[in-house]
Amino acid sequence: MLFVQLLLQGLQVGAIYALTAAGFALIFGATRIFHFAHGSSFALAGYVFIFAMQAGWPWWMGGLAATLTATLFGIGVFWFVYRPIQRHEGSFFTVFVAAFGVGIVVQNLIGMTAGRGFASVDTPLSRAVEVLPDVFLAQVFWVAVGVAAILFAALTLFLTRHNAGVALRALHQNPDLLRAYGLSSTRLSLLAFALGSALAAPAAMVTAMTSGMNEAIGHQVMLISMAATIVGGVGSLRGAALAGLMLGVAESVALNFVDTQWAEAVSFLVLFAFIIFRPSGIFGIAQAR
Amino acid sequence: MTGFTTGRRALLGGLAATPFLREASAQGNQPYVLGTLFPMSGPNAEYGTAFTAGIQLAMQHIAADNMLRRPLRLQAEDTQALPQQGVIGMTKLVNVDRANYVMVGFTAVSKAVAPVGDRAKTVMVNGGAVGPDLAGLSPFFWNVIPLAHLETQALLPFLVRQRNLKRIALVYVDDPLGDAILGILRTALPAAGGELAGQFSIPRTAQQFAPVAARIRQTRPDAVYIASFGAQQSQIIKQLRDNGVSQPLVSYSAMNIDSVRATAEAEGLIFTTQVTDFAGGDAVTRRFATDFRARFNSDPGTYQVNYYNAARLFGLLAQSLERENAEVNGENLRRALLAGREFDLVGGKGRFDDQGNMSAELQINEIRGGRSVKIG
Repeated sequence: MLFVQLLLQGLQVGAIYALTAAGFALIFGATRIFHFAHGSSFALAGYVFIFAMQAGWPWWMGGLAATLTATLFGIGVFWFVYRPIQRHEGSFFTVFVAAFGVGIVVQNLIGMTAGRGFASVDTPLSRAVEVLPDVFLAQVFWVAVGVAAILFAALTLFLTRHNAGVALRALHQNPDLLRAYGLSSTRLSLLAFALGSALAAPAAMVTAMTSGMNEAIGHQVMLISMAATIVGGVGSLRGAALAGLMLGVAESVALNFVDTQWAEAVSFLVLFAFIIFRPSGIFGIAQAR
Repeated sequence: MTGFTTGRRALLGGLAATPFLREASAQGNQPYVLGTLFPMSGPNAEYGTAFTAGIQLAMQHIAADNMLRRPLRLQAEDTQALPQQGVIGMTKLVNVDRANYVMVGFTAVSKAVAPVGDRAKTVMVNGGAVGPDLAGLSPFFWNVIPLAHLETQALLPFLVRQRNLKRIALVYVDDPLGDAILGILRTALPAAGGELAGQFSIPRTAQQFAPVAARIRQTRPDAVYIASFGAQQSQIIKQLRDNGVSQPLVSYSAMNIDSVRATAEAEGLIFTTQVTDFAGGDAVTRRFATDFRARFNSDPGTYQVNYYNAARLFGLLAQSLERENAEVNGENLRRALLAGREFDLVGGKGRFDDQGNMSAELQINEIRGGRSVKIG
């Protein structure tokens, strides 16, 4: 029964990882910007949700405020930080350092405004009950898995059926051709940042209810998102989502076989294995030299 | 002509020396530098804020009482509770800021910076870390907090005999503090009539503890001891409770912070702290409690007490050195400490042993309704 318990917990954590990783992969895939501040979108959304709940707002209003915050933050960072750097022929590394700086600023702003300790949403949704002998499950499990499934279905439909979604994929594959057809890469980049950042919000809300937030949580989120993006295949949204889910499950199920100390290391063992044996990731395209 | 030349040279020489003369005379009024090596950012920053509040109040009182001839200056270095950051900060405090006295926290950081302070003969005072091997790290490393072995000595008999909680599972962070508590429980628990039901090591950066909860449930413990710190300890408490661990949770003094008390799942948590009687204590204690509430608009905790005492101890030792016109440096501060041994601090008389460890009485607390209540 321990295996079943760990698998269920892994799916819940994996759903959160999948959402954040997919957001990061969507932004990176479309714009080629290494948006290290994606973790800050996550942290901001989580804290806004906590504030809203503490203020007695209905959950849907809190969720809306959190999503709006993450989206506006993503758009703002692109418009006020990345775009000016790119306009001045800023290198990939310059953009990365700027994103890292934004992450640190946000971390400190959260610390100054929300306090430097632990914060969470106290809800009965996160209280697990025994559903089978020695298997505990909380309602938030269904929320996490369900929301992740619905959002991925909606995103897949958007990227395959909607003109803007198809254009986003084209931006990743051939930006010059896209411009030749008269489409604005700036507008599409804004869309990528808006959608990618919004995906972090539900993950942040579930995290606020389950494991809680702290001012430095953004860095942890980024580590997982980067690992999932590499394992899934750089540029592949479904790859990042699947890899996020896989990392969450691996981290949890590993405790059936190894000591608790090694749970986090499992994620990075998976990452190393992919880098060595399949560098292009699950859905990545191998590049010939 | 010669007289004129000599006079001109003397004048030029005098003018050239003026800045140095000014500097020399200013040295007498230069502030004493009190350095701090606390986490001011990251998941443990709540401690840094709490530690610093105690020091700020002590500095306010030292200035108000005109205890010292020279002013005090606080020089804070952010360690993020990481040893390598601590060593960088300590090196700067010693070599650049010329700190007279450095206050540190966290076991791993304290152990990392102790050799730097020892070489520079700079006094380091710990009021937050409880790793038992912090006693005797260096003649210049002092503790104003009871260390973990003393806390568990007080807690384990209470758990085993009064609460009949014999099988204890331990969740411990993989660092010197966690390792030390594991070592203590391995020997002290059987001696107290208990048993270590399971031990679960976790990395410092871990955030997900639901799988750990599943493993703990399998060991069927009577209670779960949590040896962690910072935001992580609240995460552990919440996730253990959310994931079916209903047994009593027990811990040490690191739980005595606002964010733990504010966590709904921490209700019933049992932990040890020093004895502090703010209402019925001596004049120093009552003044501390009154002024702390006035300045910070909240009740003080044991960490604020400890670091207030650490800074006040500097004031008392430096005052005695100034009276005998001795230089305020590490060696003289240590000499003054060993000569005095007993000082009026918050909580009563602070008594120091040869290694610079202050003894203090301990109490057992339980969180009830978001407040710490003394239960033993």
